[in-house]
Amino acid sequence: MTDPATGASVTTGSSPDEPTGTVVLESVTKRFGTAVAVDNITLRVEPGEFLSLLGPSGCGKTTTLRMLAGFEQPDEGSIRISGKDVLGIPPYKRNVNTVFQAYALFPHLTIAENVAYGLQQTKVPKAEIRTRVADALDMVRMRTFADRKPQQLSGGQQQRIALARALVNRPSVLLLDEPLGALDRQLREEMQLELKLLQSRVGISFIFVTHDQHEALSMSDRIAIMREGRIEQLADADTIYGAPKNSYVAGFIGQQNFLDATAKDVTSADSAVGPVTTTNVNPAVHGGDRIVAAVRPEFVQLAASADGGKSPGRANVFDGTILSSSHLGETVQFLVDLGNEVSIQARLPTPTAPRLSEGDRATVTFSPDSVQFFPSESTAPQQEPTKE
Amino acid sequence: MTEEPIRILAPRSAIPTIKRELSRRNFLAFSAAAASVATLAACTPGGGAKPGTGIMASGGPLESSLNIFSWGDYDDPAVVQSFTDKLGPKVTFGSYGSNEEMIAKLVAAKGTSGYDIVVPTGVFVPQLAKAGLLEELNHDLIPNLKYMDPAFLKQIWDPENKWSVCKAWGTTGFVYNKNIITRELTTWNDFMDAAQNEASGKTSLLDDPAEITGMYFWANGIDWNTTKKADLDAAEKFLVDTLAKHIAAFDSYPGGTAIPQGTQTLMQVWNGDARIGILNSTNPDQWVWRLGAPATELWMDNWSIAMGAKHPEAAHAFINYTMVPETQLKQLDYIGYHTGAAGIEDAAKAENLPMLDMVFFTPAQLATMKNGELNENQDRVVAIWTAMKAAAGA
Amino acid sequence: MPKLRLPKATLALPAWVWLLAFFAAPVGLIIWYSFGYKPSIFGTHANDILSLDRYAEALSPTFFSTFSNTLWVGVVGTLACLIIGMPVAYWMAVKVPTAKRGLLIAAIMIPFWTNFLVRTIGWQIILAPQGWLSQGLQAVGLIDGPLEILYTRTAVLIGVIYNYLPLMILPLFVAFDRVGEPLREASKDLGAGRLQTFLRVTIPLARPGIIAGLLLVYIPLMGDYITATVLGGAKGNMAGQLVAAQFQSAQNWALGSAMAVVLILTILLSAAVLGLIIWLATLPFRSHYRLRLGAEA
Repeated sequence: MTDPATGASVTTGSSPDEPTGTVVLESVTKRFGTAVAVDNITLRVEPGEFLSLLGPSGCGKTTTLRMLAGFEQPDEGSIRISGKDVLGIPPYKRNVNTVFQAYALFPHLTIAENVAYGLQQTKVPKAEIRTRVADALDMVRMRTFADRKPQQLSGGQQQRIALARALVNRPSVLLLDEPLGALDRQLREEMQLELKLLQSRVGISFIFVTHDQHEALSMSDRIAIMREGRIEQLADADTIYGAPKNSYVAGFIGQQNFLDATAKDVTSADSAVGPVTTTNVNPAVHGGDRIVAAVRPEFVQLAASADGGKSPGRANVFDGTILSSSHLGETVQFLVDLGNEVSIQARLPTPTAPRLSEGDRATVTFSPDSVQFFPSESTAPQQEPTKE
Repeated sequence: MTEEPIRILAPRSAIPTIKRELSRRNFLAFSAAAASVATLAACTPGGGAKPGTGIMASGGPLESSLNIFSWGDYDDPAVVQSFTDKLGPKVTFGSYGSNEEMIAKLVAAKGTSGYDIVVPTGVFVPQLAKAGLLEELNHDLIPNLKYMDPAFLKQIWDPENKWSVCKAWGTTGFVYNKNIITRELTTWNDFMDAAQNEASGKTSLLDDPAEITGMYFWANGIDWNTTKKADLDAAEKFLVDTLAKHIAAFDSYPGGTAIPQGTQTLMQVWNGDARIGILNSTNPDQWVWRLGAPATELWMDNWSIAMGAKHPEAAHAFINYTMVPETQLKQLDYIGYHTGAAGIEDAAKAENLPMLDMVFFTPAQLATMKNGELNENQDRVVAIWTAMKAAAGA
Repeated sequence: MPKLRLPKATLALPAWVWLLAFFAAPVGLIIWYSFGYKPSIFGTHANDILSLDRYAEALSPTFFSTFSNTLWVGVVGTLACLIIGMPVAYWMAVKVPTAKRGLLIAAIMIPFWTNFLVRTIGWQIILAPQGWLSQGLQAVGLIDGPLEILYTRTAVLIGVIYNYLPLMILPLFVAFDRVGEPLREASKDLGAGRLQTFLRVTIPLARPGIIAGLLLVYIPLMGDYITATVLGGAKGNMAGQLVAAQFQSAQNWALGSAMAVVLILTILLSAAVLGLIIWLATLPFRSHYRLRLGAEA
């Protein structure tokens, strides 16, 4: 563990390796009593990157953010911001700003005064404060509200002010703690778009904490999926979605069908309803292992089988009975009973979806390249369905 | 205003102090403040019920309860308990801190105060009777009057004991610390001289208007009931302009804390309170008690029955009961004042009660004690007292 | 007139009746009596001749010093309560874990379970020249002679601070607690240190609680006569004692009422003046951070 005092005094300013806006966490651990909130995390955020920390509540994402802001100190490991060790540095001496979950706008100050607050703490001349505050408010299109009090604004407007208040200080890193959580869905989606545009415009590193996968997927350059204080996978949205590292990530992002199976080799396995094959080789899977085979509902094909004929022995092809079908607008979702207490979800585009209803016989197929094998010990309990 | 047992978490040594602070003639009568406000609207000045409208006691059966409105902690609880055990009526006490407070309450209630017995100081009896606030006593129901010393009956304010009968009496003197005041003090003049010299800033006076002007008049050979403007002007000039700045406290009960804790050097004090203070003192030998001279006061508190008393039989029985010689002795031992009983001095000596020279006085001393009077100087005396207190704090 | 007004007023009716009967009426009576006089020994007040003579008496030089003494104790005592109470309240609201706060609040409230008079007498025993504090200080050699503090204005000050401190701490605690950790964190996040955060976020947001605490302490303290009687002796005289003496001992309700009215006016006026002074004193600070962009752009 780095000595806070020396660590802070030795490394000053940005280094060639870690230019301004770089955030580095090395083997960071944080405990509250006996509970480990953050467990040996190592992470590097590049300047100008939009990185999301995604996970359920209690996964350690907020604690990680609070350590970056300076509200918590790590028990082990080191944190560097723009190449500077920040261990023991209080929040008010860090060149980072935070957008808080409930905005935390000062109710006794006007919008302009809220935005000016950070600038007033430094020796910025009054005239410059005026122009910078005005510019910041223009940036979030809230200029006309400058002299109102926060409680006179709607949630979305307060959200913009919180953003302006943080960004006006030109931090090297902006921390966002579930900033959109309190907004209704439509406004949230609007703000996601705005936030992403804003980030690319100001070019500041954004570290964004959320439990909402859509938010993370739509805005982030990279996503760190967290669970129980650890990072399960750190990758861009495509990789996370298409090549989840384990069944937990697979289950957390989007929806997944999990079939318990026994691997014969790295590409084929036997499940309770028949053989499954994949083209995605997972080095963690060995012949004879208990595994889960994961396939997303949107990759599952469904066709009516008039005679209910069996298709034994054919990999990735199963017969079943429709348990339910529900119309979701752009898609139709089916739940199909494959027998032996195994059921599978299929989601098909509305125009091409077969007209099947409860009790109809159907054949389920999926292609091997849509299947992933994961060792079964890392199987997470199926996440609660994401909000739709 | 039921007197509830007070439970106090305090060091044992503090208990007598606290008890004394909450006791007879205590200036701090908090109930009064509340009562004043509540009765403001109801009260008409000088109003009252007409005499004789209450139920007069005739020796019938005793009622089951009795309400006494008296100075705090002024009766031995053992005596009260034995009265209830022997005769039945359950006794409830209410307490007041000044005659004025008690009178204000009786006036406001107009005979419906609910109190049976009140304990006014002698000088207030004539006006109370005149205002129709008292019932006449039925002497047939108080046969134990025979145990009383005639010297303390038939006082000037109630020559026939028609309205009142002696409960206890006392006088005024002073106590000083002989380690600090090494000369001998004997008179009020000595007292006032020492107050301006050795005991300046360490002197307390009784918090009672008449006692303060009285002290000046006694020292200067003036009748302390004087109504002459010149006398009162002279008293005010001396007390407010000269003496006030040397006064540390206006304390009616130096026996409570000041004497035991050694707070002051010189204190004007009532005899019974001085005695208790010295008895409770860790260093009793440093204190010297002097009866005020050349003249001083004799005050007497009296049993009276309030107009409209609901339990007159029990009230008479209680007054009668307190006059039994052994009861008298218990009361004296408890409150530290002479109860007016005949032969009580011998009985007290036989019991070896301590410091009886502060309870009993020689005929020569008694001759120097003067009764007070409630007359038209009252407002002026109160004004002098108020002004002196303000001047002392300036 | 809006239609909703009537039901609203009706709802408040019990409160109005209560206020009228137990506040407005007594205060009105006091004001009425203050224009009267004391007619006789047993008469407490009469109003057949009205005059301002009682006010002349109440404001005479004799009593003026008592009123100024009271004002001194009131202002110094209230400020002392604020200075002592603020760190305690802040510590309780900010540093103490929520689970342990109840215990602390109970500990602060415990003195209230004891009679006001008895509590104050306790200080009389402690502060007496031969009391244990005096003996203790002498034993460790901090003072040479006995402690000469009882029956002085200092003793009154100690007494009122002790008696009224909880009334300051509780509203301050509630106020600090309501500011909440998020706003303090936001302030620090924006570069404000502890002091700046305290001055610019905590204090302004806790202002209603601070004002409540100041009034809760100042008003009863100014009228207090128990503490002054028990601990002040002749030197720590307060106006409450004058009023009490006029009502109880002197039975001069006219003069007592005039004094009470003067005391009420003193409290109101001094509170207003103090508020104005604080407002003016903090004006430069507040205007320094004031920012109005106006409707331009």
